[in-house]
This record gives sequence, structure tokens and C-alpha cells, in this order.
Amino acid sequence: MTKQGSVDALIIEAKEIRQKVLSMIVSAHASHIASSYSAVDLLVYLYEKILNIDPHKPLSLDRDRFILSKGWGISALYTILARKGFFPAKLLDTYCKDGSELIGIATRNHVPGVEATTGSMGHGLPIGVGMAIAAKLQKRTFRVFVLIGDGECDEGSTWEAALLASHHELDNLTVIIDNNKWQGWRSIHDTLKLEPLADKWRAFNWAVAQINGHNFSEMEKTFSQLPLTPGKPNLIIASTVKGKGVSVLEDKNEWHYKTPTITEIAIAETELKIL
Amino acid sequence: MRTTFANTLTQLMDEHPEIICVTADMGFSVFEGLQETYPKRFLNTGVTEQSSVGLAAGLALSGHKVFFYAQAAFATMRCFEQVRLDVGYNNIDVKIIGTAAGFSLNQLGASHFAIEDVGLMRMIPNMTVFTPGDPAEVAWATHKAYEINGPAYIRLMKSGTPIVHNGKINVKIGEMIPMTQGKGTCILVSGSLLPQAVELTEKLTGEGLRVALFSVPTIKPLNSKALIKEISGIPSVITIEEHSVIGGLGSAVAEIIAEAGVKTKLLRLGIQDQFTSITGSQEYLLDYNGLSPKKLYQSIKKFLR
Repeated sequence: MTKQGSVDALIIEAKEIRQKVLSMIVSAHASHIASSYSAVDLLVYLYEKILNIDPHKPLSLDRDRFILSKGWGISALYTILARKGFFPAKLLDTYCKDGSELIGIATRNHVPGVEATTGSMGHGLPIGVGMAIAAKLQKRTFRVFVLIGDGECDEGSTWEAALLASHHELDNLTVIIDNNKWQGWRSIHDTLKLEPLADKWRAFNWAVAQINGHNFSEMEKTFSQLPLTPGKPNLIIASTVKGKGVSVLEDKNEWHYKTPTITEIAIAETELKIL
Repeated sequence: MRTTFANTLTQLMDEHPEIICVTADMGFSVFEGLQETYPKRFLNTGVTEQSSVGLAAGLALSGHKVFFYAQAAFATMRCFEQVRLDVGYNNIDVKIIGTAAGFSLNQLGASHFAIEDVGLMRMIPNMTVFTPGDPAEVAWATHKAYEINGPAYIRLMKSGTPIVHNGKINVKIGEMIPMTQGKGTCILVSGSLLPQAVELTEKLTGEGLRVALFSVPTIKPLNSKALIKEISGIPSVITIEEHSVIGGLGSAVAEIIAEAGVKTKLLRLGIQDQFTSITGSQEYLLDYNGLSPKKLYQSIKKFLR
């Protein structure tokens, strides 16, 4: 496949995942559609191009670890895991329904492929640091990737873990910030400013790169360079749009909470059509 | 207790290469030997209790058994959510070791007193809670915690706690250790007040009272059948602990007695529902809270009257 062909395939997969997420969220009358959409492209790229994982050996000691620290984006991750064969796709239709194990926040010990229980903010990175230290202690070559929401940079535990990762020179650890610029109620700018975000992480002795989190070519360019600086943990600030992919959902924080109604569903279905 | 713990952990680390010790900047004059022997398997993570528990969880999720060591107030309360979710919910091999519990850090006030730790740890599903009362019980609890493939909490006091048991402890997790037989009053003690409870029992027995004394080194699980058997037909049951009467041994025993419908009177001797807003020696603070040998004796005599 040509390079453009490869990118086109990723774009199609991301659309299909957004379609499935829409149906899961509408069917369960669930929340967090915009959080999933902001991370879909990053997740597709990681699972298709980066992570060394085998759905038939989900606990292989040498597998790469991916932690969805922004665990409320789990509907997208479940969809990708099912597509990869970690569990049957029909399970997706139980998402957030009575008795389902597909809980609305990333939760370990239910379906294979979910590495840690997260979603309480600021938990994923410390766990990732422990895994990256384990890789070094065990002299294994697996890598650890943690996707955090920008709002998680409010949490003290994130910065504790940032100190720990650089102290232990964990260049096998990569944190990706889904930088959609919204948090629970208002924008990050209006609530608790994070800028200059890259400088903060650099000051914590991390190697930092900045990309467009919806552009697969930019992802390719940056992820292929890991580790960005040997001996330093990697931070990739991915600029994203919350609700990306459906015009009426984009950059509006209400879709952190609301379920799309008939009008929005119709628009979404049109815009997510694969031409 | 701390030294016994460090020695026992060192022995376990000698035998089991998967064990890692993580400490949040605690262990001065306790862990130096361990650090020297195992520089890579001993991680001082600095004053980062929340992230340290997450890090410990990450290690455990990668095949290690982790002992996380910090002062009890900070090992349980500062990072309660990480203990509950990262360790408890994931149900993984992280042992939380809370040192200097109760009023061990007697001069340092409410910030450093840990009198709620057992209650908090008891509430977390999957968590086994050990409250050893002397160095022998510490060695026992450390071995048992290693054997469990899941979360555990061990409550330690400071160094210099007297030896009560001669020889090794040989009970299962959840079993009480019979210290004195007697069919009139049953005293249950957990943790640091074990030596005082032994003296007290001797005194009461000397006065002609028939007193059974049990040490309770595991608060959870607590073998309720065995407890009910021991207290059935006993008119008076007393619990003693250097912990809030809410959530610890007193609560656990009250719950079992109430649910089983055992007809007995219960006296819970522990720290009442109040902050201890003064400083002084540990003995002074225990007396202030009614837990000195003299005040324990007075409370029990009044209760049995």
C-alpha cells in the first residue's frame, strides 16, 4: 500500500469507529462522545502502527502497554479492541447497559486489552511509570504509552509521576496529551491555565514534541522518532478538537455530558459516511 | 516492629526475586541494609505517595510483588484513592505497609497520628488487613502478606515494641491467637496495646476474674464463626485498640456480634470520635484517650460492675 493509501485506510477506520461509538452511546444513552471523538485518531494510529500487541496473547510479558488514562474515552478504545479481536464485537452493543462489563470508564479485569482501571484523573501516568520501570528491571524491550487528557494536568499525581519518570530516565515511556482544551465545565484557559504546557514538561526534563492529533502524517513523523531524546521520557502534545469528526459536536463542551438526539444523529451519520 | 519488618522483608527478597520494595522517602535507619543489598529492587520514590502507589500498581501489573512502605497516615490517607482503585479494584499484589501508626509519632500531632487507617483499609474490597501486636506477629503478617496474591495492609508501630509471643506464630489469616483461657469475660486486642492487654488480663485474673484474652492480628478477614464460638455464653466482651472505635477492631466485633444475635455486653476501648489536639509522650496520649493501663483497668472494672 502506498503511503497515501495507508493514511486513507486509517481515515476510513477512524470514521467507522466514530460511527460505532455513536451507536453505542446513543443506544445506552451515555455520555462522553466528544471525549472519545477527540482521541479516536490517536487511538487508531497507536493500535494500527505503533503498539506491539497480540489479541491472542493479551497478557504476553513482552507486549507494549497502552493505558487510556482519560478513561472516559473508553467507548473508542473498546471499539478498537473488538476490531482487533480482543473480544467479540457483539459485546460492544452491551456498552453501559444493565449488567454489562463494558463499563463507561476504563476498567481492568473485564475485557482483555484494558491494562488498568483509570478515569479517576491522574491515575494512568503513575501506573505507566511503574510499568516502564518494570521493563527496565526485567530487561525487556516493551514500551509504555499513556494517553492523558489535558485536564489531567491539573492533578498533582500527574506532576509527581512526571518527576519520577525523568528521574528514572524512562525513555521507554511516552505520554500523549489529548489537548482538546476543555475540562469539566469550561475551557482550560478559563478554568486553570496550563500554558506554557510544553515548557512545563521540558522543565521536568521530558523530551517534548507537538503534533496535530488528527493528522496521521504528523503522527508518523513524530512517533517514528521515539525516543525523542535517549534517557528522557517522551511527551507528545497532540492538539485535538473535542468532538472531532461531526460538525455539531465539535469544540462544544456540552458533548462531554449529553447524548446526541435525532437531529444530531442524522448530521453525524451523514458526515461520518464513507465515500 | 520496623526492624522486624525490614529483616523479614529482606529474607523474603532473598528467596523471591520478584519482590520490590517501594518507599515514599521513609526508612531512615531501617532500610539502609536492604538498599545496599538490592539497589535495583529498592526504590525510594520521594514524597509522592499518590504516584508511588500508582507506580507500585504498575510494577505489580508487570509481574512483581510490591511492598510499599510509608508512614501510616500518609500510606493510607494521602493516597487512599490510589490504594482503593489502583490496588484494590485491580486486585493486585501490592502490600501497603503503614509504619508509625496510632500515636507512634507522639510529638507531631494530628497530621501524623494514624487512628483511622484500619477503618479505611477495611472498607476496600480485596484488602486483607493485618494489625500485628508484637515483632513475632509482624514477621507472621509479613510472610502471610507475601503469600496472598492480592492487596494487603500491614499496620506497624515504631521500633522498640516489646516481644509478647515466645517463638513463631502459627495461625491462619483471620484466626485469633488465644493468650489466656477463661470463661467470664473475653478481651480482644489488636495491635500495639497487646502488651498492656496481657498485663491487664494478669491483673484481673489475679483478682479472681475469669478472663480470656485473644490477640487479633488480622482485622479482615476476621473468622466470625470462631469469634462467635468463643464469645457465646460470655456475658462481657471488650475490645482494645490504638485506633478509632469507628472502623477498627471494635467495629468489626460489634458487627459480628450484632448480626449473629449473640447476647453479650460489648465495651469498645479505643480512641473516641475526636481529634487528639495535644502533644506529649505516647503513654501520655494513650492515657489522655483512656488507653493507659490504669484507665483501661478502671473502664473495665466499671463495665464489669
